[in-house]
Amino acid sequence: MGGDQVVSPVQPPGGGRNLYDLYDWRRPEPKTDEEEVPTHLNTTTCGHFLVISTDKLSARYTGEGRHGHDVGAIQANRPAPQQKLLYYFEIFLKDRGQRGVISIGFTDENFKMSRQPGWEPNSYGYHGDDGKLYHGQGKADNFGPTFTTGDTVGAGINYASQELFFTKNGKLVGPVMKEGKGPLYPTIGLHSPGEKVEVNFGQKPFIFDIEALVQEERERRQRSVESVSLPLSISHSVVRTYLLHYGYQDTLAAFDVASGGAFPPVVVTSSEGSTVGDSESYALEQRKILRKLTREGDIDGVFSKLREWYPELLQSGVSLISFLLHCQKYIELVKAGSLEAAVNYARVELASFFGVSSFEDTHLQDCLALLAYEHPEKSMVSYLLHVAQREAVADAVNAVILATNPPNLGKPSQSALEMLLRQLTACLMERRYLNGNQGEIFSLQRVLQGGKDGGCEPCLAQVVVYFVASSSQPLSVSTIVLHCHVGGSATFSSACAHPRDKVGICFMITSWAKLG
Amino acid sequence: MSSSKKVITREEWEKKLADVKIRKEDMNKLVMNFLVTEGYVEAAEKFQMESGTQPDIDLGTITDRMAVRKAVQCGNVEDAIEKVNDLNPEILDTNPQLFFHLQQQRLIELIRSGNVEEALQFAQEELAPRGEENHAFLEELERTVALLAFEDTASCPVGELLDVSQRQKTASELNAAILTSQSHEKDPKLPSLLKMLIWAQNQLDEKASYPRINDLVNATLEDPVT
Repeated sequence: MGGDQVVSPVQPPGGGRNLYDLYDWRRPEPKTDEEEVPTHLNTTTCGHFLVISTDKLSARYTGEGRHGHDVGAIQANRPAPQQKLLYYFEIFLKDRGQRGVISIGFTDENFKMSRQPGWEPNSYGYHGDDGKLYHGQGKADNFGPTFTTGDTVGAGINYASQELFFTKNGKLVGPVMKEGKGPLYPTIGLHSPGEKVEVNFGQKPFIFDIEALVQEERERRQRSVESVSLPLSISHSVVRTYLLHYGYQDTLAAFDVASGGAFPPVVVTSSEGSTVGDSESYALEQRKILRKLTREGDIDGVFSKLREWYPELLQSGVSLISFLLHCQKYIELVKAGSLEAAVNYARVELASFFGVSSFEDTHLQDCLALLAYEHPEKSMVSYLLHVAQREAVADAVNAVILATNPPNLGKPSQSALEMLLRQLTACLMERRYLNGNQGEIFSLQRVLQGGKDGGCEPCLAQVVVYFVASSSQPLSVSTIVLHCHVGGSATFSSACAHPRDKVGICFMITSWAKLG
Repeated sequence: MSSSKKVITREEWEKKLADVKIRKEDMNKLVMNFLVTEGYVEAAEKFQMESGTQPDIDLGTITDRMAVRKAVQCGNVEDAIEKVNDLNPEILDTNPQLFFHLQQQRLIELIRSGNVEEALQFAQEELAPRGEENHAFLEELERTVALLAFEDTASCPVGELLDVSQRQKTASELNAAILTSQSHEKDPKLPSLLKMLIWAQNQLDEKASYPRINDLVNATLEDPVT
């Protein structure tokens, strides 16, 4: 028997889920790092026939361009990021040189830097001298116009459609199917004396309106999602069962009164013939009272009601629910400033939980750490003092009571809403996985935070993020400020006329913080 | 192709589901957003108390918004217009189409009440000038005035204008405009997420066989089709 075996009343039978999961979300999660993006040319692996500027953003050909193996090709320092909807970069042709055999495209990590993009396996290149699109081992297709001195040419990856696309002077030239699934590096190739190009990885604004393309792509998907038809009043029913599940009884009553008549009562027959109301309204009144007591911080009240109604839940002295309640009682004492009482309580009630499992140990350590700070509300463990902590304990109490309902045995104690959101996330993750782990990662939080005007806002946030992330220079932050047309930081919340500005600003603040 | 589809068993899928982190806080926000956007003001107040979730809009504005909505639903369009202008005169000023639809609804209500003379006067004085500015408005006006030609509106080809659903439509349009003016999205997020779920399942169907949820109400997993 391992140390983290769970004592029986704690685990809803058969669900594969237990209170640890239910409780886990409270602990602050480590921030996931922003995906790194190309910022400059990679001078360590580039071809022999190039001179690279000191800022590593422009290249000049110095070879003679006599045969097929003296191309000067160069990749970006990093592959195109794969967690975005689109990736895009541009080059500006300063000088076409003798023959203007300049190309732009994408190549994989095995690419030979003495060759043009599009001449080697898993590489793609749009060539300036003939306007053709080369891919794989030198297959060439008529593609678009030629390009020469003074032109700006761009190349991008659309992960949603699994296509590459190219642009010339701000106009889309066309898409081409992307075949491989691995990471691709932005790449340029030069091949005649005097050729010189500058690369823009987003350190300055693009000529092509990439925001518009992102928006278009999102709207396409949005339309496709919106065209799905939903069963009548399904949202209403999901909300209702959610309120029932968590014992938000007063809300439920107000909701039912307000929607009475407007919606048909949700009569849902499950496979066993019982209605949803039957199992979801189990012990509703009791669950409501316990939730209220917990939310008010009256943990003694919770203990006394539980002893009266569900003595079996507290019988085992080390059950997880008693552990959480004892911890909460201790936290309430700390919050009330009764530190001595808190210490005594910890000695009497909490000490015996040490060593039960790693969960208990971690949580206990956090709890006890509260004593170490003069201002615990500013410490790493301040989350324990937050009102949401009470809510989490209330949810745990609610869950153990739901699990005592005989028809519920063997069913996971989750609301329909939670299961639907899990299914949604799992489906999108699996789909992304089967797409070679490319494309945006779904985040419920982003859906919730973004979009005061529907689906288009997150994309603007994305683009802003892109601009910032594409340069390691703090300079790019000022680009953002210009980009958002927002002035002083003190007045920004009233200054933003459009919600899009708000998103830009939110990000700006985090980047300021990051940059110190 | 279909035979080479990846099959994900129920056990594998349940493990993936268990690995997904859904924060209670986020679910609360979704529910609050639904209550607020749909105008369940009392439920939203109770929910704020019971769950500690902050509404993403001043709850007071919901009461005003619902009063406007109710006025249209009861046929008191004048009253609704007055209330909207009290709330924020820019809503109608900047939204000629909405204003036209409200005036059209007012005409419909006049016709409904049998006020032929007043209806005609209103159509000519208030609506016709707007019809001259916009061809679509003119067509709508003609369609509405046609109601006057029928004594028995049940047999009238444009009789649907007198239906309750027309009031609902106008009320929704107005509701959406008010929400937009408060920089709040006009639709709740929950239905969009549920649509996205159905969409995502259909997308994944093309590449894999896995346990779907077809019954959204009970959220039950089906066995994967093999």
